[in-house]
Amino acid sequence: MTSDRAGGFDFAAAHDELRAVARSLLGPCSPMLAGGEAIAPDRRALADAGWFGLEVPETLGGAGATFAETAVVLEELGRVTAAGDAPATLGIGVGALAALAPTADRDRVLAGVATGALAVAVAVPAADQAVGPVAPLFTAVERGGRLWVDGQADFVLDAGRADAILLVVGGPGATPGGLIVARGTPGLTVEEQPVLDPSRRLARVVAHGVAAGGPLLSFAGDPAVAVGRLLDRAATAVACDSLGLAAAALDATVAYAGQRHQFGRPIGSFQAVKHACADMLVEITVSRELLRAAADAVVSGGDPVAVSRAKSYVTSMAVRVAGQAVQLHGGIGYTWERGLHVHLKRAALNRSLFGAPAAHRRRLAGRYTS
Amino acid sequence: MTGGTADLEAFRAEVRDWCRHHVPAGWRAAQTGVSDEGYVAFQQAWFAELGAAGYAVPHWPAEWGGGMSGAQQVVLYQELAAQDAPRLVLAFVAIHHAAATLLAAGTEEQRRRHLPAILAGEVWVQGFSEPEAGSDLAALRTSARRDGDRFVVNGQKLWASGAAFADWCLLLARTDPEAPKRKGISYFLMDMRSPGVEVRPVRNSLGESHFCEIFLNDVMIPGSGLVGEVNAGWQVAQATLSAERGMTMLELAERLGNAGFKWLLETCARRQPGGYRPMDDPTVLDRLARLETEMAGLRGLCRSLVERHEAGTAGPADASIVKLYYSELLQRTMDLGVEVAGLDAHRVMEKPPSSGWESGAWVLDFIGSWEWTIPGGTSEIQRSIIGERGLGLPREPAAS
Repeated sequence: MTSDRAGGFDFAAAHDELRAVARSLLGPCSPMLAGGEAIAPDRRALADAGWFGLEVPETLGGAGATFAETAVVLEELGRVTAAGDAPATLGIGVGALAALAPTADRDRVLAGVATGALAVAVAVPAADQAVGPVAPLFTAVERGGRLWVDGQADFVLDAGRADAILLVVGGPGATPGGLIVARGTPGLTVEEQPVLDPSRRLARVVAHGVAAGGPLLSFAGDPAVAVGRLLDRAATAVACDSLGLAAAALDATVAYAGQRHQFGRPIGSFQAVKHACADMLVEITVSRELLRAAADAVVSGGDPVAVSRAKSYVTSMAVRVAGQAVQLHGGIGYTWERGLHVHLKRAALNRSLFGAPAAHRRRLAGRYTS
Repeated sequence: MTGGTADLEAFRAEVRDWCRHHVPAGWRAAQTGVSDEGYVAFQQAWFAELGAAGYAVPHWPAEWGGGMSGAQQVVLYQELAAQDAPRLVLAFVAIHHAAATLLAAGTEEQRRRHLPAILAGEVWVQGFSEPEAGSDLAALRTSARRDGDRFVVNGQKLWASGAAFADWCLLLARTDPEAPKRKGISYFLMDMRSPGVEVRPVRNSLGESHFCEIFLNDVMIPGSGLVGEVNAGWQVAQATLSAERGMTMLELAERLGNAGFKWLLETCARRQPGGYRPMDDPTVLDRLARLETEMAGLRGLCRSLVERHEAGTAGPADASIVKLYYSELLQRTMDLGVEVAGLDAHRVMEKPPSSGWESGAWVLDFIGSWEWTIPGGTSEIQRSIIGERGLGLPREPAAS
């Protein structure tokens, strides 16, 4: 795989192939459930397929691809509402580590992530404060010749099962940097924050006098810009997930509406049902276009306008589509067993993660009045 | 095919420069309240200007005077919209529907007869709908009876936009009354000057009379006017309807996304009586951001459709998705425009007919936006097509 866009490489074909591989690896079931509980795809299998190393440089054992390829995998993980850390590791973790200027420490961790040996969570703002100029949640002070880090991030994806956590450290007037903290480091506490979405794990990360072993890792380029881009990437990643789960919810609904009979005909032959499904397809198709532009912006480091458009539209769309899927399935759609509640809960969580739609639209609207 | 970014930017500069020298200054004011003759003359002159520059039919094959890539067309339409160029209204059916039909299903002779003539200004109208055949178009009753090597046509067509100015008509008529309704229809090219053709204007919601009834009384069409096989007209119409949709939409999406949104922002920044600006209201800003996002989605849809059309990979519901989304988004945009423009907007009684669907005359534009959700297959029909052809949902059982 290559990231050279001008090289005549057929990206559409490569993405189709990647999607086909992902689909066979993850299987057709959506949501992935066992005994009514969300299950994670086999982490070893994902690592062997090279997913964790997709964007890791080839010199560190990765494939040297771009976020455009990761976006395909994220959508497929969303399609099966995959539990486990793969969505966050691919969507945010790898991106955060790759945004740091290379050092021996960073390279060692990134290489470990690529093989699947290491899982790294990223402690950044995850609510509406993730949109626009970002203020890191952790600060560093120098005391006795050492850096000490304090702060708190309330909602960090998969922090409770990560081997290490990358704290994004800043504070007023300070240049943002990164600190990779191993689990069990004195001063670091990680407390699970149970959420309704059974396919996700979030935790509160608190640093209280965590000692840095040396200087902070610096972000490549302008650090403030790099952190902003990381958050835009996280927002786009979550939108990819929403697109996948919405497409799965529509597929399930179409299959059901073709087979479920009432009044002597398949319910999908009634216009009320058919037209609702048509609207779902239209919104999903529009979402795909907005996400394509957002992924391009993430890859090129371009204008984040495309990111805010995609995050606001796609994650709202997925809540509507997942809700319609429950509705059109009728009573069975509301059962625990059928699992459509997972799509609905995950879609609702995605909508709130890394900036609610209204926050992203505020960012867009800021351009009208300036 | 030119596709490099540098080439495209050079092309953009070329179009922009051309517009500066050729878009008639003050055309909006001059064309507001214009007579039919004044409108037709203006449209014909503008079409000739675009044609001379090679911008009139960019979507046609190169051998007929087009040959622009989808990416170039996007740039062309962006710049025409940004430079507030008049739209091609009179030529619309000719350069899109008629040309697509001729290119997809016409004979070489028909193409040679009509494509150059269209470039020279031949005006076309679509004669599909009838009083009893609207959404159920295949129920049409206008008959074409074979008489030697000619067809004799009788019946009535409705909602034929621009029929009063048209030279030629794309006509669907029944050639086999015994066959199942979709299998007894043929597709014709009809000379509007034929004896027995009578056009009567119908006043629309805006009080304009641009869409018409066409009465056909023993009209003779020579055998050379048949497109495709006898009784295969429905298939010809279906194929060309979806083929041209993407091309027409590309221009309309760029208009809406550029000019339309710009009008909307300007209106929102205007002070209302009392000093208030709609833009000071965060709920208005939120709605603007929604529309901006949806317009970006629409433009993406249109570009993808053109790409897939060029690659031959367009899906069976793609055109319906674009038509449905565009027309309802147009309506949502106009709806906000009317709301924020306030009472003053209701006093605007006329808009230039060459402005297209967004003119800044919000109430007229809003009323006019229903001319998109009804013709060419209503939004309800589009949803059924998307459900059945796009998703494979079962058809409605036929009424007994």
